[in-house]
Amino acid sequence: MSIKTLNQYIDHTQLASNTKFSDIKRICNEAILYNFYAVCIPSYYINEAKKLLSHSHVKICTVIGFPLGNTPTAVKTFEAKQAIEDGADEIDMVLNIGLLKSGKLLEATQDIKSVKNAIGNHVLKVIIEISELTDTEIVQACNICLEANADFIKTSTGFSKGNATINAVKLIKKTVKNNAKIKASGGIRDYNTALDFIKAGANRIGTSSGVAIITNKENTTHNY
Amino acid sequence: MKINSYIDHTLLSPTTSKKDIYTLCEEAIEHRFFSVCINSSYVPLAKQLLSRSNVKVCATVGFPLGAMSTEAKVSEAKKAIEDGADEIDMVMNIGMMKSNNFVSVYKDIRDIKLAINNKPLKVIIEISELSKNEIIKACQICIDAKADFIKTSTGFSKSGATLTAVKMIKKTAKGKIKIKASGGIKDYETALKYIESGADRIGTSSGINIISEGTILEAS
Repeated sequence: MSIKTLNQYIDHTQLASNTKFSDIKRICNEAILYNFYAVCIPSYYINEAKKLLSHSHVKICTVIGFPLGNTPTAVKTFEAKQAIEDGADEIDMVLNIGLLKSGKLLEATQDIKSVKNAIGNHVLKVIIEISELTDTEIVQACNICLEANADFIKTSTGFSKGNATINAVKLIKKTVKNNAKIKASGGIRDYNTALDFIKAGANRIGTSSGVAIITNKENTTHNY
Repeated sequence: MKINSYIDHTLLSPTTSKKDIYTLCEEAIEHRFFSVCINSSYVPLAKQLLSRSNVKVCATVGFPLGAMSTEAKVSEAKKAIEDGADEIDMVMNIGMMKSNNFVSVYKDIRDIKLAINNKPLKVIIEISELSKNEIIKACQICIDAKADFIKTSTGFSKSGATLTAVKMIKKTAKGKIKIKASGGIKDYETALKYIESGADRIGTSSGINIISEGTILEAS
């Protein structure tokens, strides 16, 4: 795969609690320089990112109910609406994992539907946090996302005990087929790993190591 | 010492199920903890389960990163109070503190305090992310914004409460604001040390262990 195409898979991500204005400036500048698909940032910084990216094609992606997923549906819906108003192009929301674990699948579906309805035609990714789920629950979560018309299934927040896995991406791909896209995120730090996830079915890569992935291709190849 | 009344019995995990909330509330009633501290989507259920008790419901807002928009935090806090929460534990906007944008940090807290009227507001300043000077600055902002408590930690960062930080907060607060110590407090002796250092409340998921150790120690 050429570098030109790989960069368009990348959501250049900065979600730490201590993210500063200067960090947002840096990742926006990097996203423009390397022509990444989007920046993925906390909702507080959307206005700032919008200004910084106004003359570029780089999209703004923000997180909702992040990273635990257990805020009320009304709050997630408000947060998503507000983010779109502020200028976000895509929404990465966290599934209400506790509801899934409680067997309340309808409520978990409704949580996603409500956010999807609130953001119109904007892209909705649902983070299912695979490290907290069994294989059966991953399939259940995928079906819920399809039922709620989510656009992407996203593997991980990066704030849980585990990251994206190739096995989970393959399982998600097998479950959703071409009815939803897949964003692999969490722990993807080099070129070869990114490539492996894309081969397994990922349509988007969420990573804070986008620059390393694009620029250190040769170096990282030797690690394998 | 009635240590149970210092304890916010806490369960803040993404996998928390309804069953877990039932257990948490039953335990809080049985051991007469001050409150249960839970993520905001479970406030209605907890309120219902605790309706015949004195145990309060404490809900987190902007948890655990604190980096969402102020409007979103206000919406979450308002909804939690509507759903029956008695207290709000919000996370400060740590990034704004790190950007030296103190007005934004203040406004974020004040807007929530205004939205929840007279309900107690605790502000989690996440001491593990802050320098000493930033801890002091954060305390002053919390006092200015009329928060009721400074809370040390979310329990989701690289480390939790420290006695040094609690003492420093106590010295800065000069009685103008209370202190909740949280994150990594798992036994009676540790809890006691925090209270002796100035903590008015203890946030812990080990409340039962703490009080049972306390009972044994006091009996011996």
